[in-house]
Amino acid sequence: MLPKIYLDHVSTTRPDPEVLETYFHLLKTQYSNSDALYDDGVTLYRLQEQSRARIAEMLGVKAEEVLFTSGASEANNMALKGVAWKKRSGHIISSYYEHSSVYEALKQLQSHGFEVTLLKPGADGRIAPQQVAEALREDTILVSIMQVNNELGSINDIAAIKKIVKKQSHAYFHCDITQALGKTDIDLEDVDLASFSAHKIHGLKGSGVLIKKRHVEMEALISGGQQEFSLRGGTSNAPVNIVLAKTLRKALERQPAAVKHINTLHAYLLEKLKSLDGVRINSPEDGLTNLVNISTPVKSEVMLNCLNLKGIMVSSKSTCGSRKSEVSRSLEALGIDDEYALRISLDTENTEAELDQLIGALKESIEKYG
Amino acid sequence: MDEMIYEYIVVRYGELTTKGKNRKDFINCLVQNIRRTLKEFPALKYDKVYDGLFIHLNGENYEAVKEKLKYVFGYAYFSGAIRCGNTVEEMQETALRIAQAHDYKTFKIKAHRNDKSFPMRSDDINRAIAGHILRNTEMKVDVHNPELMIYVVVKKDATYIMDEKVQGPKGYPVGINHKALLMISGGIDSPVAGYLTMKRGMRLECLHFASMPYTSKQALDKVLSLVRQLSAYQGEIRVHVIPFTDLQLAIYRHANESYAITLLRRMMYRIADKIAKAEKIKMIVNGESVGQVASQTPESMSVISSVSDTMILRPLCMADKLEIIEQAMKIGTYETSILPYEDCCTIFAPKNPTTRPKEDRCRYYESKFDYEAMIDECIAKKEVIVIRNGEDTDTELF
Repeated sequence: MLPKIYLDHVSTTRPDPEVLETYFHLLKTQYSNSDALYDDGVTLYRLQEQSRARIAEMLGVKAEEVLFTSGASEANNMALKGVAWKKRSGHIISSYYEHSSVYEALKQLQSHGFEVTLLKPGADGRIAPQQVAEALREDTILVSIMQVNNELGSINDIAAIKKIVKKQSHAYFHCDITQALGKTDIDLEDVDLASFSAHKIHGLKGSGVLIKKRHVEMEALISGGQQEFSLRGGTSNAPVNIVLAKTLRKALERQPAAVKHINTLHAYLLEKLKSLDGVRINSPEDGLTNLVNISTPVKSEVMLNCLNLKGIMVSSKSTCGSRKSEVSRSLEALGIDDEYALRISLDTENTEAELDQLIGALKESIEKYG
Repeated sequence: MDEMIYEYIVVRYGELTTKGKNRKDFINCLVQNIRRTLKEFPALKYDKVYDGLFIHLNGENYEAVKEKLKYVFGYAYFSGAIRCGNTVEEMQETALRIAQAHDYKTFKIKAHRNDKSFPMRSDDINRAIAGHILRNTEMKVDVHNPELMIYVVVKKDATYIMDEKVQGPKGYPVGINHKALLMISGGIDSPVAGYLTMKRGMRLECLHFASMPYTSKQALDKVLSLVRQLSAYQGEIRVHVIPFTDLQLAIYRHANESYAITLLRRMMYRIADKIAKAEKIKMIVNGESVGQVASQTPESMSVISSVSDTMILRPLCMADKLEIIEQAMKIGTYETSILPYEDCCTIFAPKNPTTRPKEDRCRYYESKFDYEAMIDECIAKKEVIVIRNGEDTDTELF
């Protein structure tokens, strides 16, 4: 069998062995309901709350501002719909290239009478703070802009955007930090709501967080028990929530070295890509270095198959839309034909030798099918 | 600012230096406490000098060490420092590095020669270094209200250049003044009383009365978590947990309801007294404050404490509740203290507790049952839990 080369880290990551070990241990030893009042339940509850407190500390927020969810998609839905339902009506600003869990949730809200303005990214792949300033209205209740785009790697100037939102309106500011966490610094000051997933930072799938600042009022998406401050009913997935603290701690500890390693790989990859005929880099130069979006002369689907045969795993666009025939909104906004796009995403575990193999495979496929 | 620039931490003793003959003991105790508090940083190297302790960071993270040092009583302040050679040029370059690491607009240099054989006078050193910074940055000198103070200490072998002075929690090093037994309930006051006791250099042991099943496991956990917060200041704390329910029920069976709390407190003090003697602890400490509740009126306090001949200290006796709350918030115990669990005093709290109990009536009620035997049984059944700072039993999970 071919050795597998995994270059789809923006889609998901391999769980950290230490996280898995702790998770298995908890699964095997603790099965109580964390809301039960006997010792076992109390122990589990205490551990979950310790995890919450640690996550809060790492992100510079309060413990009661950390809500465990099943992932960023749920957290995004919770933030947008939760706030919208509470406000009952109003105007929402977001961008055209948000993750589908924001985009589709907004479409749904639109069909329920909310007004939605979607900003298009500029040629640099970013939403200009000025665009937000111009779109803000008296009745704007929420602004949701992602920190890092999941298909381009472009980084939005969240500091400037949140400043404008805070200064010029009473709207809440929501930020999807899923792709930014562990890759670039996060500052949640003046961010009212933020979402992320554990599985993008070597954690478990089905695990995520919505940061909801104390002053933010919202309705529950899942009505039920007292869990998550009565904003998300259902028996807590305590073992998963407990290991999220470790997942985040390790991701943040890894960050400086990871960024350095990935920067080196990124420079190496760009250099090699230049030598390939007909390959164009779609990612902005000042984007995150863990993501390189390119276009080749071969159709994405064909190229994916070629690479797959060689054990190389990359994606063509956001994996959440991989089975739909819809266009990539990120690439479309930049006028790039997504039928030829490839998304290569790097992590600490990757090596230059792996990139050499990728380049070799790309070259061969371009020569044969391009 | 760039945290990596510091190579040393210079700890200044402050109040300790006035302690005459005991000075050496104080310093040894302080240094021992500092080393214990910083034991998670194995690379640190320590160098005791007359008026301070030089800690060579040796690659350890300054900010992390700084956070930990805030939990050591007994020194005045500390500063991050860079060491350089005893030449004006090196001092100038080093001071400039520190100046450039900050975003300040004004500064002042304050030089001090420990080594008076150094050829320049302090004031000349000030001028030489300030001139260099003026020439190489946009900063200006402000001798009255500088944003950045740069201290230059010239020693025989090297010069240390430092900036911020980080204030410590002051007080005396824990352990220099023997031990105290803190009666801890889980409320707001007792942790603050414990903090102040440690601050005066006394090592704490804690005494807690548990009334299972009327109080829950969570109530005990809450007390232990308060103790864990306090243990940051002394490393580890032993908690004596007394199963109190049977004695408590006996009191309610034999005494008038209005006297229940008074008798309850008398029993607690008797137990505290016995444990203090057995553990060779000289003082009992608690969070009582005059007039706060029925059992803390002057009459109550006198009738209650008469059962113990061990010295009782009440660090908060004259403090207002709001002052105590403020201090609890400052030391970080407040949030835990207000968690809503019953403690042994709030269950069966009488509707009309007496505020003026009489000694002879207490004796009368106590004569109706064999409390001595019950007290001995409580002590025989006590459980000792050792709480170690940072040693959260579950750390490997996180």
